[in-house]
Amino acid sequence: MPSEAPTAGPYDARRKLHPATVLFAALDAARAFFVPALLAAFGIGGGTGTTGLWLVVLVAVPSVLSAAGKYLTFRYRLAPDELIIDSGVIARRHRVIPLRRLQNIDVKQTAVERLVGVAELRVETASGGRETEAVLNVLAADDAEALRSELIARRHRLTGARDADVDAASPADAERYAAPGVPLVRLAPRDLVIAGATANEAGLLAAGLASLLELVGELPIQLPEPDVDPSALTTGRALMLAAAAVLALILLFVVVGWLVSIAGTLVRYWGFGLERAGDELRKEYGLLARHTGSVPLERVQAVRLEESLLRRAFGLAALKIETAGLRLGRGAGGRRGGAEAFVPITRTAAAPELVAAVLPEARGVRLAGLERVHPRARRRAAVRYSLPILLGAAGLAALVDPGWLLLLGLLPLAWLLAEAHYRSLGWARRPGLLLARAGVLTRVTWIVPLRKLQTLHVRATPFQRRHGLATLIADTAAGGADVARVIDLDRAVAARLLRELNDEARAIRAYAGSSLASRSSTASTSSEVLR
Amino acid sequence: MSDPGVVPAGTAAGRERDDAELRRLHPRVVRAWRVTGLLWLPIVGAGVLALATLLADEVMPWWLAPAEAVALGAALLLALVGPPLRYRAWRFAVRQTDVFLRRGVLVHVTSIVPHARIQHVDTQRGPLARWLGLADLVLFTAGTRGAVLTIPGLAAAEAEALRDRLAALAGLDDAV
Repeated sequence: MPSEAPTAGPYDARRKLHPATVLFAALDAARAFFVPALLAAFGIGGGTGTTGLWLVVLVAVPSVLSAAGKYLTFRYRLAPDELIIDSGVIARRHRVIPLRRLQNIDVKQTAVERLVGVAELRVETASGGRETEAVLNVLAADDAEALRSELIARRHRLTGARDADVDAASPADAERYAAPGVPLVRLAPRDLVIAGATANEAGLLAAGLASLLELVGELPIQLPEPDVDPSALTTGRALMLAAAAVLALILLFVVVGWLVSIAGTLVRYWGFGLERAGDELRKEYGLLARHTGSVPLERVQAVRLEESLLRRAFGLAALKIETAGLRLGRGAGGRRGGAEAFVPITRTAAAPELVAAVLPEARGVRLAGLERVHPRARRRAAVRYSLPILLGAAGLAALVDPGWLLLLGLLPLAWLLAEAHYRSLGWARRPGLLLARAGVLTRVTWIVPLRKLQTLHVRATPFQRRHGLATLIADTAAGGADVARVIDLDRAVAARLLRELNDEARAIRAYAGSSLASRSSTASTSSEVLR
Repeated sequence: MSDPGVVPAGTAAGRERDDAELRRLHPRVVRAWRVTGLLWLPIVGAGVLALATLLADEVMPWWLAPAEAVALGAALLLALVGPPLRYRAWRFAVRQTDVFLRRGVLVHVTSIVPHARIQHVDTQRGPLARWLGLADLVLFTAGTRGAVLTIPGLAAAEAEALRDRLAALAGLDDAV
């Protein structure tokens, strides 16, 4: 319940950013100005020295100017229940963010920022998009932390969220919320090495490096030309040598990619700590750039259990939470949409407990033992995986060379993949939850609390209809690109699920609504917050 | 409105029974869709011409005329035959606690939008819709994939009435 407004504090007046903003904003701007400046510098021409000089000037001057402009014009302040930001040099923008809508409040520090003693404060609301977001870049590190605590305290005061220990809102709230909570996960470097070693991304890195080598071929560096007689290439031996060379190269990339993945994970998640403090989740991690983030449990829309190929083999998994609101790619490693790393790596057996820390419905719930989808889905998968090969082989054989029919030898592989795809599909209903699983390379299990369900859909393409199948989609307010879906259900099962899930979600909403009403009419005492 | 669920859903009998209780769009929307479909004809024609100039050596290759005929013919067919199919596929109902939608000719989609999850409701009227006395009803939710659902081609008055009714029914559950 909103209580008395806080007394006049340091945040009531309009404040400026830290002077170091000029430096960091200039560096940011330099990135934007670099390419145009490069083009302009080359356009002006006149030798490498002059071009270089022009480049520096053309990048530095606008960057510093825009950064100085930002520093001189950016103002922020806290009204009793709003964060107000005035920014913009040419086009002035006045942005008001209701504090009760704040979802993620993060303080981020890159290595350089840490050296200088500043940090970036970033707040997001549930609505996502650029209009309801604020970035204070940069503040003095202490100021950033203090402001963060203040924002958290005020948000709690306004949303009436209760911690079992807190009876009434008080000025000590800010302190209390800075206090440590219940630790959930702490990852040692060894865990991070395992995480990096088992990530599917390791393979992607290998591919990335391979494409990088292609680029190298474009640079004006003279690589030694292999001494091969072109006519000899048609002989079997030369072909074998070439194949061996390619294989060796692939192996090299895989190993390097693997090592890079491990190193990357170590740097990104160094000292990972996750704790639950009252009704929010707090985590911190990072070696070069230390991230601290807090997510109110209220904002968690769903949890995703992700098991890459290797992790599945070792009984490991990663957990992600989907929160409402969009996360822009910039900052803590390209996170897409509203998906956040919850626990980078854990034993799959320990996952249910961690999920229960975020979703009370999941307490004591089995996350395994999902039902298979209808066996007809096997047929559909087989067709889907075989068709490209059949068409490709037939087309290429007809148009290019009959030898391409050998592609048909890949069909057994396609059938294996189809079977793996079919087995990866699964779903289950638990009280208040929907579990949906799919994915061959990375098996993703969505755990969706029905109280967060937005809309439900059943979708059937003509191909699915042919097999009597349909896909159930459970939409939540998560900002991510992906959505929880059960693929290739039997059509009647899908229709039944649609109805039943809708009914259950409605019942849950009704219950939550009625208990909310009864709570607001009685005197506020600490009570079990219904999630 | 009772829940269309006593007869097993997904069966032919089920769909028939469902359909009897669900509302349709306004028939004039077929005309609106046909007009927009026909507007595509010159674009398709220009597109084929552009393709021809890119691919062929001479300005007017021999295959331009038949290609145009095929493309324009297909576009015309789609413009004329598509709309009534679309119209027949569209069904909706404003039930006690949610809005039920069914649509799609190639890809069938059935959706349920709880009133409590509707953030706000808009009516949208393009110039064509205005001329024909139609309007679209747009439901905004906080979801990601199914976030914005549009019921096209309602009679303008009906759209307004539905919007008011949904706005009243929509929960104040804006906390996500």
